[in-house]
Amino acid sequence: MSIQSFIEKFAYAIEVPEDSISAATEFKGLEVWDSLNTLAVIAMADADFNVSLSGQDIEKSHTIGDLWGLVESKTAKA
Amino acid sequence: MKSIPGVAIRAVAAAVPTRVARTQDYEYLTPDERTRFQKATGIAERRIVRDGQFASDLCAAAAERVIGHLNWEKESIGALILVTQSPDYPLPATAIILQDKLGLAQHCLAFDVNLGCSAYPYGLAIISSMMQSLSIRRALLLIGDASSLGCAVDDKSAWPLFGDAGSATALELDESAPASFFDLMSDGSGKDAIIVPSGTLSSRRPPGEGPVPHELGSDGITRRPDNLVLRGADIFSFAIAKVPPSIHRAMEASAKQPADVDFLVLHQANKMINDTITKKAGFRPEQSLSTLASFGNTSSASVPVTLCAHAERFQESRALALCGFGVGLSWGTCIVTMPAGAVLPLIETDDVY
Repeated sequence: MSIQSFIEKFAYAIEVPEDSISAATEFKGLEVWDSLNTLAVIAMADADFNVSLSGQDIEKSHTIGDLWGLVESKTAKA
Repeated sequence: MKSIPGVAIRAVAAAVPTRVARTQDYEYLTPDERTRFQKATGIAERRIVRDGQFASDLCAAAAERVIGHLNWEKESIGALILVTQSPDYPLPATAIILQDKLGLAQHCLAFDVNLGCSAYPYGLAIISSMMQSLSIRRALLLIGDASSLGCAVDDKSAWPLFGDAGSATALELDESAPASFFDLMSDGSGKDAIIVPSGTLSSRRPPGEGPVPHELGSDGITRRPDNLVLRGADIFSFAIAKVPPSIHRAMEASAKQPADVDFLVLHQANKMINDTITKKAGFRPEQSLSTLASFGNTSSASVPVTLCAHAERFQESRALALCGFGVGLSWGTCIVTMPAGAVLPLIETDDVY
């Protein structure tokens, strides 16, 4: 799995066009971002990457790249 | 094997208040947010207790229904256990007060259990074990909460989720009853995921002197210290990671496959959680019964509420996987056989006892 596929799934989860976000996007600053999107991203990580993200994981991440780093490290451990 | 033989469920009743609160009327969300909330959680409306009505009243209404339906002599009931997190008083236990209000005999043992969303599998395990070990022929398991009373009305992360409800399950020793199978789990490291931080004078955080302070939480919501705090994202990741394996273990103990079970009844948390668990546990969407749309998250009572709201599907004997998860963290699953006609239609009531 690559960061590109993560960005693709991320965009789908929060219902924004794929080309509107990138690894550098600070996702909590997006206009559409709210607490329901937190759940959608946790569900996406579980379903598509088999990784369990916590609320704190989302809280401490700023960019989509940060979050991908967490998903990658958790995949490596699993 | 974690199984309890020889205890039959005779009747299940559940009661909700008549007052309706609709997501589309919730003033602290914008119209767009309401629609989005409803789509993600599946919750269109909930029932809220009227002034002066409490969780114990809803449980009492359900208890009267099962006793009446079964035509049980009140003298014959040997145990009453109430699982609630909205008791009438910090003490004494509300179950004892209900023993008197329901006119049960003094030889009926009664006590409360402090559990929330995991109440149904835990409650069945506790009461069935006591019936077996103490030879208690007939018993009542009451489960219910008035969560609305503990949430701040402007708390968007909690208030629009919860509905109030109470329930009663009547059980009887019966050597011919099929065994029930249990998987019961705990993880106190997740205590902050759902918590009422302050309580009575003997609490870790007692109430202060003077007017009740309101505090701004890290989520930007202002609450009293004795309001419920719900960290939805933490509950979500806990539930989708830990609950499917619990269902799997209970199924394995009962030597059943998802196809052998008629219905999966999950605690009604929200649609995203429940759909994910259903899928991960290997069940078809139509096997998973839901009452989220009409009653929201009814906390401890969600499993019996969901059974009773589908009473017409219980005309014949059913194999069920029943699963609760949440505050604690506490979670569990039981595999039970529900005899034909034991699930009674949902009661709507304003009665107080």
